[in-house]
Amino acid sequence: MAELGRFALLLGLFLSGYAVLVDLLGAWRKDLGLVKSGRNATVAALICLTVAIAVLWGLLVRCDFSISYVAEHTSRALPLAYRLSALWAGAAGSLLLWLWLQVGFAAMVFNKIDEKEKVFTANARASVNFVSVFFFIILILDKSPFALSVPVPADGAGMNPLLQHPAMVLHPPTLFIGYAALIIPFAWVFAALKDNEKQGLSPLFIQARNWTLIAWLFLTIGIVLGAWWAYEELGWGGYWAWDPVENSSLMPWLTATALLHCFRTYKPRTAIARWLTVLSLVTFSLCIFGTFLTRYGLVSSVHAFPEPGLGILFLVLLVHIWVMAAVLLWRKYRSEPIDSQVTGLPGRKFIRLNNWLMVLLTFVILTGTLFPFLSGLFTEQKISLKPDYFTKITAPLGLALLLLLGMCPYLLRNGISKNWRMFGVVIVSITTVIAWLLTKGLAVPFFIICGFAAINLTADIFNNGSGMGKDTQTVRPRKTLRWYGARIVHISVVLIFIGITGSSAYEIEKQAALSPGESVAIGKFNVKFGGLKTDRGPNYTAMIADITVSKDQEPVARLNPSLAFYSDSGKQASEVDIKRSLGSDIYIALTAVDRNSELVNLRMLIKPLINWIWIGSAGLVLGTGLVLISFYRRSRTV
Amino acid sequence: MRTKTIVKALIGVLVIGGGIGYFMYQAMQSSWSYYYSVDDLSVNSSAAKNHSLRIAGTVKQGSVTRDLQKMRLTFTLAGSKAEVPVHYEGPVPDNFAEGKEVVVEGRLDTAGVFRAETLMTRCESKYKAKVK
Repeated sequence: MAELGRFALLLGLFLSGYAVLVDLLGAWRKDLGLVKSGRNATVAALICLTVAIAVLWGLLVRCDFSISYVAEHTSRALPLAYRLSALWAGAAGSLLLWLWLQVGFAAMVFNKIDEKEKVFTANARASVNFVSVFFFIILILDKSPFALSVPVPADGAGMNPLLQHPAMVLHPPTLFIGYAALIIPFAWVFAALKDNEKQGLSPLFIQARNWTLIAWLFLTIGIVLGAWWAYEELGWGGYWAWDPVENSSLMPWLTATALLHCFRTYKPRTAIARWLTVLSLVTFSLCIFGTFLTRYGLVSSVHAFPEPGLGILFLVLLVHIWVMAAVLLWRKYRSEPIDSQVTGLPGRKFIRLNNWLMVLLTFVILTGTLFPFLSGLFTEQKISLKPDYFTKITAPLGLALLLLLGMCPYLLRNGISKNWRMFGVVIVSITTVIAWLLTKGLAVPFFIICGFAAINLTADIFNNGSGMGKDTQTVRPRKTLRWYGARIVHISVVLIFIGITGSSAYEIEKQAALSPGESVAIGKFNVKFGGLKTDRGPNYTAMIADITVSKDQEPVARLNPSLAFYSDSGKQASEVDIKRSLGSDIYIALTAVDRNSELVNLRMLIKPLINWIWIGSAGLVLGTGLVLISFYRRSRTV
Repeated sequence: MRTKTIVKALIGVLVIGGGIGYFMYQAMQSSWSYYYSVDDLSVNSSAAKNHSLRIAGTVKQGSVTRDLQKMRLTFTLAGSKAEVPVHYEGPVPDNFAEGKEVVVEGRLDTAGVFRAETLMTRCESKYKAKVK
């Protein structure tokens, strides 16, 4: 079976390489036959990848430990669902999945070969297949999912019990869908750069924008799932640690956010068009670079050991992309001056400001992430930055972004003007600065700006056009489904900021060693440890603590955090227990147990407002879904 | 006209770049953490005393003790040649165990004991899953 998989990958490599050549040739000679052949080769490569994935899945389900990928990621005792999800548990499998999605999306979008669009789609396909060739080479030579394991082990290594959790099963593939979907705007940009004819708001432009939104939706879901899992499972009480792997999923998300705003104001042959080109390339490059960064150990992460290998090919790919893009950009815009006559919403420049802030955030995060590597270049001594670097540097930028977000409904239509609304902004800004100076912290300023943004955005939903400025160019908003969707997304962002601020600035943390019957105070609460219960399972013994939390002598919650010891592997796993409410979470983890004296160590946290992060995240998904529905409807009516 | 735009743009870039650079420098200064392996540390231990450090090493077999009363974890972090004792009082990751590679962040005290503020284990290499 594995031979079939290996052969499918080889054939796929050949087909992708062939597709690049015929598509480029076909686009150059405007030859319909060649372009057709390029499209067919792309579809054939997709079929090869589908075969390879099916084979790998088959091997995983059958527990064929002669294949090292299977031996490393599954075991006979592993339930079927986790054996299936082992497809993306390792580097080789996840790269295969990513490639399959990427070619699949491209085959769906760039499939038209009619007279009008054949050159454009051929160029777009060529750029996708060019990327695919690199992925194929890495899959065949470096990270082959079908490599043999010698000698064949009796049983596989199994899957880390921490990862055997629904959120962790879904987290990697959602991120990969996001990364893979970003190939569409990337390929669109490349094709548009090569195209010397006018590229207006063509159907393919609409597709590129829609797929960016789809990518953004999946990246959002993936990132939130990871954060949620860390909070629920890891017992440390946080949800984000600014680890290189986390950062490398956040960076493309930030630039994709900028890209979405940029699509909204796109006009061909303007400065925005050039900017969009660059931004789309940056976003896609960050997906590739993030993989390189974390998989190949340029900087070490908590998540995995570096595995040196052909990862340098990812860098070679990036260099190729940027050199080609630079040549094409130069060629295109040398002959095509910026059209300065184009007018649009007065708020266009504020969208540019949003873009700058997003890019700046990405830049500071990238610098921090690469710091151990960068410092190693200049000095003998490697220097890493503690997570509070990221917190400190992103906070002021986040504040600026929130202020802009709060003003956006007004700015977009009217720009800056002298009336009561702008006066409000000035008042809010001054109050924020005073609050910052008085409290010497950023929490109160964040709450002020969040409140301002929430009020402004909500008021805008109920605004029927009255009370708007009497000055020039006042446009009434058309309240379409898309408009409501975007508003929900923006309000959700404010909610998430409220959650982040509350849970990080007003968190109370305490550790205590308690014997049965003893209690300890944390914040306004009193935590009493009743005693231990023992639960014996087939291969583990779990100690369950009985804890009563009370406030003003009134019991508010009974929590049962536990600590399980696995007899076969000698591992232990702690299960936290959380009392949730919209106000704050009470989070208790059992960190150590003395089985003789029943003395326990507890780690307790009060996390105010944290649930607003998850509520806001659900809002992001809902709002984005509404926008996508409106896009879909419109594409049906056009 | 054209030169004027360029000058304007340059000034803008300088002001924004300077501002961001300053912010970044400020944020970095307080979170600077020197990265050593245990072996490097023993060579530079006098130089390393007053800095925040990040050290990678292996938890020595048989060195882990947990004092539940004081809520303190003590173990010996070993490199290929040198060793350093570590005291730690925070949350211990589930997959912390003897023989594991770990990274600790903290300071060396005058007695040569490393007072760790954070303790990180790495996902085992066989679980090289793209998690998080």
